[in-house]
Amino acid sequence: MSSTEVTTDASTRKNTVLKSHGRLPWYNESGVPLFDAFVIGIAGGSASGKTHVAHEIVRQLAAIPSVVIMSQDSFYKWNDPEQIALAFANEKDFDHPDSLDLELFANCLRDLKRNRQTNIPVYSFSKHQRLDETQYLYGAAIVIVEGILVLHDPELRSLYDLKVFVHCDSDLMLARRIRRDVAERGRDVNGVIDQYLRFVKPSFDNFVQPSSRYADIILPPKDNSQGISLVTEYIRRKLSERSANLREKMALTDRMLSHVSTPSDIKDSMSDAAQRIGVILLDQTAQVKGIYTTLRDRTCVKEDFIFYCDRLSTLLVERAATELPFHRNEVTTAVGETYTGQTTNIKDLCGVTIIRWGGPLERGLQRVFNDIAIGSLLIQPDPSTSEPLLMHYQLPTCVRERHRARDAWVIVLGSQVNHSSSHMLYNCMCA
Amino acid sequence: MATTAPITKVASLAASNPSSQTAPATLPPNVITLRQTAQLEALYTIIRDKKTGRGDFIFYSDRIIRLLVEEGLNHLPIVPKTVMTPTGVEYAGVGFEGRICGVSILRAGEAMEAGLREVCRSVRIGKILIQRDEQTALPKLFFSKLPEDIATRYVLLLDPMLATGGSAMKAVEVLREAGVPEDRIIFINLISCPEGLKTFCGKFPQCRVITGWVDRELNEKKFILPGLGDFGERRYTA
Repeated sequence: MSSTEVTTDASTRKNTVLKSHGRLPWYNESGVPLFDAFVIGIAGGSASGKTHVAHEIVRQLAAIPSVVIMSQDSFYKWNDPEQIALAFANEKDFDHPDSLDLELFANCLRDLKRNRQTNIPVYSFSKHQRLDETQYLYGAAIVIVEGILVLHDPELRSLYDLKVFVHCDSDLMLARRIRRDVAERGRDVNGVIDQYLRFVKPSFDNFVQPSSRYADIILPPKDNSQGISLVTEYIRRKLSERSANLREKMALTDRMLSHVSTPSDIKDSMSDAAQRIGVILLDQTAQVKGIYTTLRDRTCVKEDFIFYCDRLSTLLVERAATELPFHRNEVTTAVGETYTGQTTNIKDLCGVTIIRWGGPLERGLQRVFNDIAIGSLLIQPDPSTSEPLLMHYQLPTCVRERHRARDAWVIVLGSQVNHSSSHMLYNCMCA
Repeated sequence: MATTAPITKVASLAASNPSSQTAPATLPPNVITLRQTAQLEALYTIIRDKKTGRGDFIFYSDRIIRLLVEEGLNHLPIVPKTVMTPTGVEYAGVGFEGRICGVSILRAGEAMEAGLREVCRSVRIGKILIQRDEQTALPKLFFSKLPEDIATRYVLLLDPMLATGGSAMKAVEVLREAGVPEDRIIFINLISCPEGLKTFCGKFPQCRVITGWVDRELNEKKFILPGLGDFGERRYTA
C-alpha cells in the first residue's frame, strides 16, 4: 500500500488523504451518480484514541481505493482578537460545540459524501486562528471524520454510514492528555489539568459521552483490533456492493463505432457515426488524411511522428476552440475604423491531460492558448476487471473552486478513445 | 446519452452568433476563404484592435497564418497510399505528392514564414522584394532570390495583405518568368478586399488565393477597411 501524506504542517496533519488502488466509477454510463462515498464518524473523548482507530481501519482495509481522514479541528471558528488572547492564555473553551463551525463542517462533509470536491478550512493552533488558505479534497471513496463532537450534531450524524464511538475511562484520557500536551506541545502540567477541569471534562460529560448512544459500535480504548476488524469487514462488504460494471455498459457505445474501422467507406459512415453519438469529427481534408496515414505507418520515425502529432493537435484544438461561446464586440482598428467583431468573455479556460496519451496533444493546446493552465489525470484499467480506476488527479485551480468551476471551460486531452469508460470517469468529475 | 447534451448546447450557441463575413459567393471562383467561424472572427478582432500590443499581435496572427497554410496545403495533390500500421493491419490512406516551396514578399511576407515552417518543416523559402517606383507609381522588382528548382515545385506565395494586388501580381510575374506554371501558385494572405481580389484573379485565373478574411473595401488611400493597419509595421516595430 502506497500512501501519501498531503500535509505535514502540524496544524493540518490530522487531515490526511490516502490513495492506493485507485477509485472505481461512482456513476452510471449516462453520468448519473450511483453511489455516495462511504462516511464514517469516529467520536470519543479527548485522547481516547480516535486517530489511532481511524488509521487502524485504513491499515486493515489494505487494498483501499482512496480515503480521506478529516479532523473536527479544521472547523474551529474564525476567532476575533479577544478570543485569540483567551486562547493563548489557555482560557478559551475549545471543547464546546459553539467553538466549531458546524454548518461549514456539514456542508464540506456533504460535498465529499456526494463525491464532489470541497475546500476545507485550515486552522492553525500556533496562531489560534483559521488561515486564509484552504485544503482541497476530492475523490475519496471512504471519508473518515474524527473528533470529540462529530456524533453530537444531528446534521453531521445524518451523513454517516457508520458511527463509531471510542470509549475510554476519564483517568486514562487525562493521563494520556497530560503526557501528550507536556511532551508535544510544551505545556506545563498545572495548565493542562486546569484546562481539563474547566473545559474538557464538562464538555465530555455534557456532549461527548451522551453522543455515544448514537454510535453503531463502541470500541474499547486498548486491544481493540478485534472491534476494528468488525468495522473493516463491514466497510469492505458495503463497498463491494458499490460496483458499477461500467465497462460492460460502455462497450455498447463502442460497438456503435466499430463498423467504421475499414477505411473504404470511411467518408460517410465515419462522420455519420460520429454525429450519431454526438462527436464532432475533424474535417477530413487532404492534409488530415495524409497526416493520419503518416502517423499510422509503422515505419514512421519518431521525429516525424512528433511533428505530425503537433500539427494534428493544433488543428484539433483550433477546432475545439470554435465551440467556445463568443459574443459581439466593437473595437477600433489600427486604421481608425470601428469594427464589430467577436470576442469571448470566458473567465476560466484550462486543459486537462489524461496521462499518458493526452501528453502528445499539449503542444497543440499551447499553440492555440499560449498561457493555458494544464492539469492531469491518471486513469488506469483494473488489471482483473478492466474497470477504470481513478489513480491520480492534479486539476487546475479554476476547477478546484466550485464557484469558478461552474463557468470554467475545460479542454480534455486524450489521443485515443478505446477505454471510453475512462473518459466517462473524467466527464463526471467535471459535472 | 449525457455526453451529447453539452455539445448540442454549444453548437446552437455558435449558430445563434453568426459571423459578420459577407457571403463568399460573390468572390471569384479561385478564391478560397477559411471557414468563417465566430472563433476566427474573434482572432481577427484581436489583431484589428489598435489597442492590441505586439506580443498578442504576433501570437494571434500566427494562429491565423497556421490555419491559412494548412488550408493552402489542402490544395496540393495527394495520391492513394497504403501503409502497414504497428498493429499489423493495412491502412489505405493518402500520401503527399509534389514538392513545395514558400516565397515571401518582403517585408511583411517574412512574418508568415514562421507559421509556414511550423506546418512544413525544412521547407525551402524564396524571397521577393517589390517596391513602388516613385516615378511611375508602379510596383518594381528590387530583389528576388528563389530556389533553383522552383519551376518543379508548388509555390506558396506569402503576403499578409492583399490591397490593390499590385505587388502580388508583380510577384506572380517574377515566378512565371522563373518557370513556375500559374496553376502551381497558391497565394496566401490574411486579409484581402474585393477590389484586390477582383484585379488579381482577373489577371491570374489559374492561381489559387487563400484568404482568411475579405474586408469591406479599399479606400482612396489604398488602405483596407476596416483593416488592421500596416501588418509589417505592427508585427515588427509598433
